[in-house]
Amino acid sequence: MIYAIAVFAPLAGSLIAGLFGRAIGDRAAQAVTITCMVLASLCGITAFAQLVWGGAPTGTVLLGTWVDVDRFHLAWALRYDTLSAVMVAMVTTIATLIHIYSVGYMSHDKSIARFFSYLSLFSFAMLMLVTADNLVQLFFGWEGVGLASYLLIGFWYDRPSACAAAMKAFIVNRIGDLGFALGIALLFWTVGSVEFSDIFPAIAAHQGEFYNLLGSNFPVMDVIGVLLFIGAMGKSAQIGLHVWLPDAMEGPTPVSALIHAATMVTAGVFLMARMSPLLEYAPGALAFVGFIGATTALFAATIGCVQNDIKRVIAYSTCSQLGYMFIAAGAGAYQASIFHLFTHAFFKALLFLGAGSVIHAMSDEQDIRRMGGIWRKIPITYTVFWIGSLALAGIIPFAGYYSKDAILEAAFASGTGIGMYGYVCGVAAAFLTAFYSWRLIILTFHGAPRADHHTMEHVHESPLVMTGPLMALALGAICTGFVFHGQFIGAGWHEFWRASIFNGPNNHVLADMEEIPSLAALLPSIVGIAGIATAYVMYVLKPSLPGALAERFGPVYRLLLNKWYVDELYGAVFVQPYRRLARQLWQVGDAIIIDGVPNGLASMTTEGSGRVARLQSGSLAMYAFAMLIGLVVLAALFLLVR
Amino acid sequence: MNWALALPEIVLALCGMAILLLGVLRRGDTTALCGWAVLAAFVLAAALVATGADGHAYHDMFIVDAFARFAKLLILTGAALACLLAMDWNRREGIARFEFPVLALFATVGMMLMVSASSFMSLYLGLELQSLSLYVMAAFARDDVRSSEAGLKYFVLGALASGLLLYGISLVYGFSGGLDFAGVAQAVASPELASPGFIVGVMFVVVGLAFKISAVPFHMWAPDVYQGAPTPVTAFFGTAPKVAAMALLLRVLGVPFVHVPWIPVVMLMSIGSMLLGSFGAIAQTNIKRLMAYSSIGHVGYALIGLAAGTVDGVRGVLIYLVTYVFMNIGSFAVIAAMRRRGRAVENIVDLAGLGRTDPGLALALAVFMFSMAGIPPLAGFFGKLYVFLAAVQRGQWTLAVIGVLTSVIGAVYYLRVIKVMYFDAPGEPFEARATATSVLVFGCALFTALFFLFPSAIVASADAAARSLF
Amino acid sequence: MVVPLGAYLTVAAIVLVIGIFGIFINRKNVIVILMSVELILLAVNLNLVAFSAALQDLAGQVMAMFVLTVAAAEAAIGLAILVVYFRNRGSIEVEDVTLMKG
Repeated sequence: MIYAIAVFAPLAGSLIAGLFGRAIGDRAAQAVTITCMVLASLCGITAFAQLVWGGAPTGTVLLGTWVDVDRFHLAWALRYDTLSAVMVAMVTTIATLIHIYSVGYMSHDKSIARFFSYLSLFSFAMLMLVTADNLVQLFFGWEGVGLASYLLIGFWYDRPSACAAAMKAFIVNRIGDLGFALGIALLFWTVGSVEFSDIFPAIAAHQGEFYNLLGSNFPVMDVIGVLLFIGAMGKSAQIGLHVWLPDAMEGPTPVSALIHAATMVTAGVFLMARMSPLLEYAPGALAFVGFIGATTALFAATIGCVQNDIKRVIAYSTCSQLGYMFIAAGAGAYQASIFHLFTHAFFKALLFLGAGSVIHAMSDEQDIRRMGGIWRKIPITYTVFWIGSLALAGIIPFAGYYSKDAILEAAFASGTGIGMYGYVCGVAAAFLTAFYSWRLIILTFHGAPRADHHTMEHVHESPLVMTGPLMALALGAICTGFVFHGQFIGAGWHEFWRASIFNGPNNHVLADMEEIPSLAALLPSIVGIAGIATAYVMYVLKPSLPGALAERFGPVYRLLLNKWYVDELYGAVFVQPYRRLARQLWQVGDAIIIDGVPNGLASMTTEGSGRVARLQSGSLAMYAFAMLIGLVVLAALFLLVR
Repeated sequence: MNWALALPEIVLALCGMAILLLGVLRRGDTTALCGWAVLAAFVLAAALVATGADGHAYHDMFIVDAFARFAKLLILTGAALACLLAMDWNRREGIARFEFPVLALFATVGMMLMVSASSFMSLYLGLELQSLSLYVMAAFARDDVRSSEAGLKYFVLGALASGLLLYGISLVYGFSGGLDFAGVAQAVASPELASPGFIVGVMFVVVGLAFKISAVPFHMWAPDVYQGAPTPVTAFFGTAPKVAAMALLLRVLGVPFVHVPWIPVVMLMSIGSMLLGSFGAIAQTNIKRLMAYSSIGHVGYALIGLAAGTVDGVRGVLIYLVTYVFMNIGSFAVIAAMRRRGRAVENIVDLAGLGRTDPGLALALAVFMFSMAGIPPLAGFFGKLYVFLAAVQRGQWTLAVIGVLTSVIGAVYYLRVIKVMYFDAPGEPFEARATATSVLVFGCALFTALFFLFPSAIVASADAAARSLF
Repeated sequence: MVVPLGAYLTVAAIVLVIGIFGIFINRKNVIVILMSVELILLAVNLNLVAFSAALQDLAGQVMAMFVLTVAAAEAAIGLAILVVYFRNRGSIEVEDVTLMKG
């Protein structure tokens, strides 16, 4: 019951604010949504506590029958196990803090009720996703998250860039969803059910099956695993499908925090953990997961080092941290990946909201080249930024230290080639992470002020309604690591997770983690400190160095600055040919305006409006002729296949 | 002989004649009266359909089974909603005449006869009763050159299509020796027994019916007629006749022609329709034309289920039709609400900024567009899900993959409408709309949005309907 | 002399083809299209009656009667639509019926 309230209270808040927002006013809409969120988080945390410390039994909360047609049974049900409860507690807590923060941050906006309604809807969709008891319900939440993110990224719909970013997020996610949907379909086809309780026991029996495609055999479970992971790649912005995430910065900052910390991007990682009983039997898929994760971790970190927009730096760091989580999943240490997800939620929300506070203070300036010298004026923001960065860089005893080290240790301990690749990429990325975090801190807060006089005069600390959530999150970023590591990944993990995450009989990675050489375990911390030192040298001691380096290694710098030209590559490979195809097919058609093609940034007008059409010419004779041709073709086909 | 099996049709036809007399004989303006009377007749007929018995009648020319009942209820729903939409529209356009609802009623009688036909003779009569009424309805705005052109085009091509259909029937009759479905199926009980003459006849029949559902390559009338005909007529065209013709196609291919290898032909039409529907729509500026291409695409998806040729496939088609009827009526109700300064506007750019000038209407249209794009959890997604599932179960991967790909392409033009509504600078607001229009818009939007909560009842009855066909 | 069934079918097929071609080769006049439609229906009737005689089965002839009746109604409606069109457009040339396209 408590559990159901945790899931549905945000929906109630969203509906009230959305439908009656105009009638009850902005204040009341805020009050309603926040009350609902607070209620949800209290219930969520209680449910979590009951399960973990109270020894409550796991189970499902049945809400009603959904579809019941011969072989296909579906129920509306909430799954209540450790994995879901962790996610529910985390999502509701973070979302509540973000709601409260938004009261201050969005106080000057025109459509406050709409914003809070969307925020709550977003939280609800994510809760639906994490509590799903079957794949279809999960997919429902999955798409709901996609829809809500579209609405929120495009919240400022009068900005063309926001609209484009919203479209991009939506379309890129659709590509991932295609893989996910195919994966669900194949799984249903193989196992005959979409309910987790039917699927998981049946996996082992189908382990030895193969699909024969183009003459070679593919294990069924690997194919399904890879397809599901493609869905996860879209939501979790892994390399290839990551292009939407940095653009999603066009939304208001609290939205970025929600997307990056608690909801949306974590859905992919959650899916991997939820499907662990399947992935354990899909070694090929796991290797793929680990490879993509490791590559993303390093790739995104390199880009983060040269970006100049405060939110973009943090956005690429999210990409990179998600890569870490997939490294862990690929190594079979799902527990470590969820642990990192959990700690990351706190410090990433902290960093984003801190960045929002900076932007707020700097009169909506986002370019770190025009900041600096403000640390004395906004001490709270400055402090929490330090805390968030220390956690992000994995410095002991902050939260990130425990989870990130666990991931790298697991990658090392897994002993496979992909695991080593993950370890190397992860360590390199750890160095870069520390480097760009302190680059960000130094450029944003220290040095001589680079903003104009007028802006500097207005720099001020944010009101309590914004700093309060920051401090709460800072507490989380400090404590969650050492408080929870024993349960998530330490000695108590068996009792903690019970059976919600499955480790195969030969998967001892969590035990092996403790056995790795101490140098390998220490290395991430060492390179982290080295990264901080490097940033200090480059931006404090020798400020001329970065410019000189950029000049000396011009091509590399430009490559990174332009994000490895992935957007341009997609433009050339997918978007342009697609447009050409559409135009060529319908040049015959008419004079046309095409806009809204994926990434349809520009509207496009084809040749003159009076062009006589060849296909749909309006002529009766032509139409009748087409029918005759169709008749002949179909008749020929008919007689041929007979 | 159990003539009472045809009671809904008989009652509806008698009501039609009575309402016609009423309209002619009574002094003064009888348009509204006739309109409501026709709606009442639809409700009465629906009640009779729902409570009627199963069986054969009229020397096996007429059949009532779960399949026919399902299709008839859907047809009556579509027709009633379109008539409701027409009342206010016709008044505002100055074409309010009592013949309109009566014509719609007779067309509906024809469609009900079509789905209950179990002989080529009753099939032909039902089809013609429907077509003749529809020709007139397309040209109903008789002072509008576009409407009369639409009527003319639809008439010429429709007459050609029914000529081809008839020719096919004559060949089927000659080479199998009978006109009733069961007899034909018996005479051609295996593919080897089908002579070339019979095959050619089947082909002509399929073409005649494919024209009615506007499947590629017999679709070319659809964009022009959709654009030219008055909006409620277009809404009507997109729903009830489509349902009737699709149901008829299901029955004809499933009963008399069951042993003819027609699956590749249906697959070809399905692929063509999906591709043409999605690519054609990208280029459109007129929203009614856009809907025409979108309907061609939807026919393609529905045909996937037919191509599977299984109970699941037929069930998928029926579910698809249910969701499609509501999305379609709802979208056209929004289009009917697009009026400025006493005139109907129908370009996509006229929707600019609707998200700000009329958020409710914009949200409803967004729901319809997302649903047509097949985005969960809206109704359109379930329609697609069930036909794709059927194709996958039959191993028809090509169809499923092309279907998924074209629905991704299709999402582009649906999203474009949404983009225009929410992200472009607003224009002048639309005129206040009638209560009936609002009811239709929001009723259909609610159905589309909340379908996922209660699909089991509809799926179960579609399942029963599909089983009765096999 | 008995005329074989094949001869009837051949004539009907020829009339059908003339009818179909009349619809899309004709570029002048919509009236000609209406006449072509009648030709198609004529071909159908010929087929039905011939088959009916050959099969010794009355259903074909009954069907032919229905076709005749419906064809009359169809022609009436066609002409009515044509009149409406002519009043609006002032022309019944086939090539003018192209207001809507694309």
